[in-house]
Amino acid sequence: MTPEWIEIGRGLCYAGAGLAFGLAGAGSAWGIAIAAHAAAGVMREKPELFGRMLIMVALPGTQGFYGFIAAILIMTQTGLIGGGSLKVSLGTGLALFFIGLGDGIAQLFSAVKQGEASAAGISLVARRPESAGRAILFPAFVETYAVVALLATILFIIFLTQPSVLQSIMK
Amino acid sequence: MRTSGHAISPMKYRPEWGFVCGRISVLEGKLLSREFFHSLIEQHHTDDIFQHFNDTLIQDYLGPGIPWEDFSSVADQCFYDLAVSIREECPSPVPANLFLIQNDYLNIKSALSGMEGTVFLPGIMSPEKIESIADGDLSDLPTSFRQRVSGGALDLSELDESVSDIIVDGSYLRHLLALVEDIKSPLILSCVHDRVLAYAVSSMWRALRQGRDLKQFADYFIPIGEDDPLLLEIAAAQDPSAWPEAIGGEIGEILLNALQMPFDEQISIFELKVANALIHSAADARIETAGPERVYAFLAGFHAEIQNLKLVVSGRLNRIDRDVLAQRLRHVYG
Repeated sequence: MTPEWIEIGRGLCYAGAGLAFGLAGAGSAWGIAIAAHAAAGVMREKPELFGRMLIMVALPGTQGFYGFIAAILIMTQTGLIGGGSLKVSLGTGLALFFIGLGDGIAQLFSAVKQGEASAAGISLVARRPESAGRAILFPAFVETYAVVALLATILFIIFLTQPSVLQSIMK
Repeated sequence: MRTSGHAISPMKYRPEWGFVCGRISVLEGKLLSREFFHSLIEQHHTDDIFQHFNDTLIQDYLGPGIPWEDFSSVADQCFYDLAVSIREECPSPVPANLFLIQNDYLNIKSALSGMEGTVFLPGIMSPEKIESIADGDLSDLPTSFRQRVSGGALDLSELDESVSDIIVDGSYLRHLLALVEDIKSPLILSCVHDRVLAYAVSSMWRALRQGRDLKQFADYFIPIGEDDPLLLEIAAAQDPSAWPEAIGGEIGEILLNALQMPFDEQISIFELKVANALIHSAADARIETAGPERVYAFLAGFHAEIQNLKLVVSGRLNRIDRDVLAQRLRHVYG
């Protein structure tokens, strides 16, 4: 076991990446399950509404992908993806850990709440199938904050690891 | 005086109720509007009434060979089947059982009174159990009933029918309150509490009109629950005009208003207004996406719908005045 391998900074990066996709993936699974329960109940009476509910059931799944993207970006800072190993200072490692954690938490909660919003939208579609277009808007609003969290994660990683980019923006 | 009802806290999202609530979202769309019942009342021929039932929840039960005289039992069966089907999909059977046990106690009343040829009403207890109760085997009685009989060392065979009815009614209300304790839902608890109180008031009021002594209620009806002191107070008063102040809250107000009505209609108006108030309280659960409150609210609405259908169809068959039928309609959920 090399000294680089046990470097705390890089270890924190791995932990941050793990939390980013782990929490986001768990949230997506949870959110989809919430929406799927409601959709399955509706299909018990009206199977013909499957198509209209499908997007609402799938919507909470996007957070899992956002978490995956964030995790990949964090992992690139360790060099693991390129097959090597870059040195990561303790400060940078700690920062990347919290970026991953923050993103994971945002994705987790937004996925669960989007699942609940989707279930509410599915209830609306069940009663008024013609409202399917409008019903999809409410869970879509929740999606906004998952996207904002991913954007923040990307920008933080860029600014943290390439300060020159931030300096050129500030100029 | 009861100064306040149960505080109702916001309903929680309970994902395990998601499936059944999804189904209920569809079923709610099939509930009938108030306009539907008014248009039903206006029909002149029974065939026209039948046409109105297309695309309703009761449609499948109304085959061409079913006589209209059987409509009430058909409607009861429709409610029972749907409630049982919903109960099977619920994480807890309580919301459905709160409606299904009512028929059990009506069956028990018939069994204890020894009435032969009475129609069995579908409930939780099987016809065989009701038959064995009629034969004197009390081991199948619900717990709330058995405890009252054994605790009070009562011999049901020696009791007057009116007294045994009081015991059955008291047991029914205790059973309702015991069930609702299991579900831990403030909204359902509040609705059931009001339902129990109103049922108790209505029972006492009817007994008073029949010239019976309300002391029997103190002896055989109680204990019900936290309202025992109140029920003892109104039983001691023996005068309904003194009850609203003692009861207070929404039920007290409804009672006060009912007392202003013509004497013969007071009790039925009280019961109707309470049923409407309970529907309104339960309907708060419509905004819930997943939870037992939504199931309870739907069943309360569907129960009211079935009562309205029975009222209108039997009323039209018996040529009851249309205005009277319209006044007797319960509010609908939706």
